[in-house]
Amino acid sequence: MPESFFAGDYMTNDVSIIIDGHRIAAEKGATILEVALRNNIYIPHLCYYPGLKPKGACRLCMVEIDGKELVTACRTEVEDGMVINTWTPKVERVVRPIAELLIANHHATCKDCPGTGKCELQKIRAKLKIQRSRVERLRSPQGALPIIALNRYLDYDPNKCVCCGICIDTCSDINGTGFLYFVDRGYSTKVAFFGDESKCESCMKCAMRCPVGVLIPSKR
Amino acid sequence: MDEWEEEVLREILSFYRGERSELIPILLEIQANFGYLPKEAILFVSEFLNVPEGHIYSVASFYKAFRLLPLGKNRITICRGTACHIRGAHQILQEAEKVLGLKEGETSSDLKYTLDTVACLGCCALAPCLTLDGKVHGLMSPEKIKTVLASLEDGGESDV
Repeated sequence: MPESFFAGDYMTNDVSIIIDGHRIAAEKGATILEVALRNNIYIPHLCYYPGLKPKGACRLCMVEIDGKELVTACRTEVEDGMVINTWTPKVERVVRPIAELLIANHHATCKDCPGTGKCELQKIRAKLKIQRSRVERLRSPQGALPIIALNRYLDYDPNKCVCCGICIDTCSDINGTGFLYFVDRGYSTKVAFFGDESKCESCMKCAMRCPVGVLIPSKR
Repeated sequence: MDEWEEEVLREILSFYRGERSELIPILLEIQANFGYLPKEAILFVSEFLNVPEGHIYSVASFYKAFRLLPLGKNRITICRGTACHIRGAHQILQEAEKVLGLKEGETSSDLKYTLDTVACLGCCALAPCLTLDGKVHGLMSPEKIKTVLASLEDGGESDV
């Protein structure tokens, strides 16, 4: 059937689901994460950004559906009668280590960070009540890396990057081909700028959307 | 890139249809011919496949199989496996770095030496060991590595 057939009833509230005991009317085609956030139910998430294609990469938005299965909330569409629990022992066992390891690989101080306040990791740490002492022992002894100038407009702090890919997707969304790419792998994975610097419109959407304040508008 | 290199590149690409999925086979073949992935070759492939160069760099830097810098004429590979590690591979590496003036994984600017490390050479009885252009030198010490590298220096120069 053509897609337009469904387009009409996309916005009608025609699916009923239960999130954490609350009955919620949701629209067909929406994902669990979208519905939950819209109804002020916070599910930890890092690589999701409204409007970008959900990747399901960070695995922080795992939820339990119908009391058995764990799924990524950002990539699972709601179905009528779904019973979703956002925080169960099973979910916690999966999400907590991920969050702890992410924070352990993230720069230690929030003071003076341009991302502080809007930082998703701070939000996640608060929600999961992660103790500093639990994370500190996981921290790599390697010292801080220097801040990299991506181009005329942008600086990049490799010590804080959580490699969510939102900046990369944002750039390719806006510019078609995109200028930002992941380079290297594992612990040394970084975001790098490629292409004609003059074609970068310095729209700063990448910096604005960065969940942790890694991309900083250059002061030069 | 000189004419010969461009011809080799064209020859390689003539076997492909220009689809995105052919990127890794093409890169592997370029590396097999050139020993590394030259920047010009990446630009060439980018145009051929209509894939942004940043994407190719992203792929090439992800896989250990790809080198982005040329290999030196003499390749020094220092073992840092468990046995060598216990018997002081770190000092051997430090000494080699000092003598050659290179860091691990680097190639000298005159393309004479490449200093590398490897997880295990498989001859732990000779720990700490290294290979010089494929030949194993075992039971190394910081003193001994100096003479080994010096012999290379002499050999290298008489070669020219």
